[in-house]
Amino acid sequence: MAELLFYVLAAGTVAAGVGVIACRNPLFSVLSLLGAFFCLATIYLLAGFPFLAATQLLVYAGAIMVLFLFVIMLLNLGDEEQYAERPPFGKRGLAIAGASAGVLLLIAVFSVGFGSVSASDGDSPAVTSFPDESIDDVQSIAELLFSRYMLPFEASSLLLLATMIAVILLAKRQRGSGAEGAGWPWKKGVEQ
Amino acid sequence: MFVVKRKELSLRERLFLPEIARALGHSLRAIFKPKITRQYPEEGLPTTEVTRGQPRLVVKEDGAMACVSCGLCEAACPAYAITIDGQETDRFIEREPERFDIDMLRCILCGFCEEACPKDAIFMSDELELADYSREALKYDIEKLKRPKAALQKRIDYVYRINERWRSSSSTS
Amino acid sequence: MPELPEVLAWLLKAALIYGGLLGTAAGMTLAERKVSAWIQWRIGPNRVGPWGLLQPIADGIKFIFKEEVVPQGANPVLFRLAPMFSAVPAMLAVAVIPFAGDLSFFGHSTTLAIADIEISALYVVAIGGLGVYGVILGGWSSNSKYSLLGGLRASAQMVSYELSLILCILAVVVMAGSLNLSTIVADQAGHVFRWNLWSQPLAFVLFVIATFAETNRHPFDFAECEPELVGGFHTEYSSMKFALFFLGEYCAMVVMACLTTTFFLGGFEVPSWPEAPWWIQLPAFLAKAGIFLFLFLWVRWTLPRFRFDQLMSIGWKVMLPLALANLFATGAVISFF
Repeated sequence: MAELLFYVLAAGTVAAGVGVIACRNPLFSVLSLLGAFFCLATIYLLAGFPFLAATQLLVYAGAIMVLFLFVIMLLNLGDEEQYAERPPFGKRGLAIAGASAGVLLLIAVFSVGFGSVSASDGDSPAVTSFPDESIDDVQSIAELLFSRYMLPFEASSLLLLATMIAVILLAKRQRGSGAEGAGWPWKKGVEQ
Repeated sequence: MFVVKRKELSLRERLFLPEIARALGHSLRAIFKPKITRQYPEEGLPTTEVTRGQPRLVVKEDGAMACVSCGLCEAACPAYAITIDGQETDRFIEREPERFDIDMLRCILCGFCEEACPKDAIFMSDELELADYSREALKYDIEKLKRPKAALQKRIDYVYRINERWRSSSSTS
Repeated sequence: MPELPEVLAWLLKAALIYGGLLGTAAGMTLAERKVSAWIQWRIGPNRVGPWGLLQPIADGIKFIFKEEVVPQGANPVLFRLAPMFSAVPAMLAVAVIPFAGDLSFFGHSTTLAIADIEISALYVVAIGGLGVYGVILGGWSSNSKYSLLGGLRASAQMVSYELSLILCILAVVVMAGSLNLSTIVADQAGHVFRWNLWSQPLAFVLFVIATFAETNRHPFDFAECEPELVGGFHTEYSSMKFALFFLGEYCAMVVMACLTTTFFLGGFEVPSWPEAPWWIQLPAFLAKAGIFLFLFLWVRWTLPRFRFDQLMSIGWKVMLPLALANLFATGAVISFF
């Protein structure tokens, strides 16, 4: 039952992932990504990590994708047509990129997926054996996060803070300079 | 030139919450106030003697109509709502309407017909409700317009009183 | 495989809780009109059934028989999907709320929650926060400027106030030391003064304010703003799709009222009677939640709407720092005393 569910969800994740890059309409791309997040969260839940699943939904689906939607709704949605005809790197570049991505994917699948299916010992990170009980992982995650991974954790938050400040600075600078269109940074972008 | 300065808010006002609580108390008290809703179809609309509702034709105490189909109301009507055909009778007042139609869809309830009538035959009643399922049903004929004089007495008295006042004031000036 | 009594208990609980949720949501539509009428010295709907009690049913039948209109230029898929996005998350979120303590079905002891999972506090916020998609997608797919503005406002508003909401919940979670709602309730058991309302007054006030913003209720209903956006995100919607939006809004209100009760008013605990049977705990819970449901209506018919910049500045400059400070103080007190 759980295995069947896993394969359905995995297929759903991949399909949604393909949908993200295949959809012409950026809004549908965002929704596909949302679907991928949902499938992933459910897989986490199956694997016994409810905390991870809830955080996935809370942070990615609940906050970040909402902001994505916010931005996409503000953009001019007619724009995607002009990029549709001319891929930026040419056909050969695309072919090389696709081939290498496919090889990487195959390597990943063979080394992780089938390896663990064939492994019979219990302690491999197997997708085929789901725990009966959910793991109470909040405490352990918190302990690791605030002891062993304290520095990376704080560093990543600092990075985010720096990015935020940089974005604000960029926006502010654009608003200050320029005689006409002052205060309307997006207008300047259109004129150029 | 007036400059309205925005009022500096005190800390208590900037917190909003005390004022919100005060507003909530106000609306909570309102819940227990007596209700002012009128249960319309059952309770009916309030009418006074001044109420200028739909025009109605007076039927005198002896059962005859007061109208002599002179056509003055028809002429006075700004909405062309009234249509009259007259006929003769054997009575002392030898004319009465054969047909007296008021198209209530056209009537604007202005009361000109009441003022124009020389025989006190048409008055604005206190009937206000005007709704039906078809246009034809709202073209009132003489049978629908007839009212005994007693039913209109309140308005008749009022019109007389008002006209009396006008008459006396015009005579003094 | 779970045994038959367990499955039966699940089914019964799910039927009870979802029936209750939808019934309450339907009742709230009537209560909204009744309370608004009372506050304005009116009587309110009283034609359908005794005291107008059958009004929600009449409304539902009317919604079902109304014509469905999909505006020209609207995105047909998203336009039909958006009402579902709006209604489903609120209904999902109610699954983990414990409505009563121990009760036994056929000799099988359980709590009156559909799923008593370990991280239920997080789950509620994660799932409840998805309700904004319905508003955003509905606003965008309608191909109408009013709807688009409503959707934009909703997305900005929800993201802003979700932060304060979660920080307030975190303060309570720190108090109880668990993300499980049942544990949080058990932590407040015993006495009225053990309720988090007294130990976390600031978090309580901020939480209640944030729930108003999260459910798009007055004075924060910028997504639908009747005077300026003529209905906002649901301007173009009609018939049952519109009803679904309403159902979602009222379900979200019910969920938020239940959450406030659970986090700050001791959930189903009866004061000074920890071992109360479930048929006393359930009404106690409903009574407490009813206070907040009434508060939703009461505030709506009392306060005017904020301005959008005021909403943003309150959310980011007042509520968020206060909630952060509150969480910090709570953590400090817990760890040092």
